[in-house]
Amino acid sequence: MGRYALFLGCQIPMRYPNLEVASRKVFEKTGLETLDMLGYSCCPEPVNSRLLDRTALLTISARNLAIAEKLGLDILTLCNGCYETLFEASDTLNHDPSQLKTVNDILKKSGKSYLGRTKVRHFVEALYEDIGINHIKKLVTKPQKLRVALHPGCHLYREHEGEDTDRKPEMMKELTLAIGAEIVDYGLEKLCCGYPTMLVDEEFSLRQRLLPKLKAIRESRAHLVVVACPACMMQFEMGQTMLTKFGLKYNIPCVSIIELLALSFGVPPLELHLDFHKIPPLPLALVREDT
Amino acid sequence: MRNPENEGPQPLEQRLESAIVCSETSGERRFTFEIDSTSLRSAVETLKQKFPTLRFITISATDIGLDIEYLYHFDIDGKIISLRTFRPKEENVFESIIDIVPASGFIEREIVDLFGVKISNRPKEKSLLLTEDWPPEKHPLRRPLEGELPPKMRPVIEALITTSSVASISKFMFQRREKVGLPRTPPLALQDEQTLQEFQKVIRDTELDKKTGFDWKKKKLRY
Repeated sequence: MGRYALFLGCQIPMRYPNLEVASRKVFEKTGLETLDMLGYSCCPEPVNSRLLDRTALLTISARNLAIAEKLGLDILTLCNGCYETLFEASDTLNHDPSQLKTVNDILKKSGKSYLGRTKVRHFVEALYEDIGINHIKKLVTKPQKLRVALHPGCHLYREHEGEDTDRKPEMMKELTLAIGAEIVDYGLEKLCCGYPTMLVDEEFSLRQRLLPKLKAIRESRAHLVVVACPACMMQFEMGQTMLTKFGLKYNIPCVSIIELLALSFGVPPLELHLDFHKIPPLPLALVREDT
Repeated sequence: MRNPENEGPQPLEQRLESAIVCSETSGERRFTFEIDSTSLRSAVETLKQKFPTLRFITISATDIGLDIEYLYHFDIDGKIISLRTFRPKEENVFESIIDIVPASGFIEREIVDLFGVKISNRPKEKSLLLTEDWPPEKHPLRRPLEGELPPKMRPVIEALITTSSVASISKFMFQRREKVGLPRTPPLALQDEQTLQEFQKVIRDTELDKKTGFDWKKKKLRY
């Protein structure tokens, strides 16, 4: 059974603590053991921050990797963005001695060092590979008979060069099927939700990225969107509110696969604090509860 | 008299001692020393005392967004020595060296005209380059106070540096965390002052604070 250093990131503890609650409940039910990373920082954010200064950003990531290394554990992330940043940092530092030395020269000034041993995993692959679909199916007491549109998110496609980029999105698909949901094919699964471009061009992000997805999802008659990343969730939730200023009204609920897993394992919806969502999926969950 | 031909960058560095932030050599006869702005005048004085053949060439200035970069160029028997220093645009002042190097008078007045900076250590004089009816608030080479970050990225970086998290930290959310049965503060570096300071030291040591234009006293970006 897997044992990991849990990297909560920024958005989950400070915006969506309900996802932290759901994750902890799912890990407890499945037996995936996690240890909190005391004193961690932002990964840092993978798209815009990364353009600033590669060495600085690698050093901040290395500080996080070093915390897990000291615990003797690999990192488990709950967010695609954190996964992308830390995956790249570990991939670089674990294989490039000169870059590792540069980073350590900076870290040692504050009494830290990174040996280059930490690996990084996304919760989707940890659940799929460490726990296994068969065991997850056995834990399902309340199948989620919903029509869902999956949005794996760009960084879930991140793999080592030459490896199958659909590996983790396929795992997400299988996890969704394992809990009894029906997956709709809306054709734009691989299109970015637009979150990273919000900081640069809000209208582009909303109209050129989020909107085509929402249109296709609505046409597919999915009950809700399922994501594996809090940033994508924020974009789907806030973005739909923001689209009203262009006269566009969408009200499609968005939940994380980890929340659906928790619901299917019999965690009562109220214990999952689904009221944190901007577009409440709670009525939908309660309907499922009754049926 | 000392033979300047034997004066490579090392002896000169020794003479300027603690004033030097860093140095670079871009050829056998070209040396640049970055000097802390508070030590600029004493560095020029040192050069003048130690090298009797010192000849002032010019000062070049560039508005680089948040600061103005000044390069003081000197010749010592065929070797070019440049002292580079930076002054924050919020201070908007640079120190005259006219009392040490009288030849700097004209170029200092040009810099005042072109960049709109004030000069200390010498009386204010009328414009050298600009016409009398030139609008006083406009200066041909002055740019707005701007750093590298686009507007929407600024709060993200401020939050990262001040709190170790890019999500905004609010009492409301701490309360809500407690309400859902989680620890009030997540295990981020911000959970205790000592860990936060250790994280912020990493930020300083990587110079991300300088690169982004972060003001530690005000705990926010300079722009």
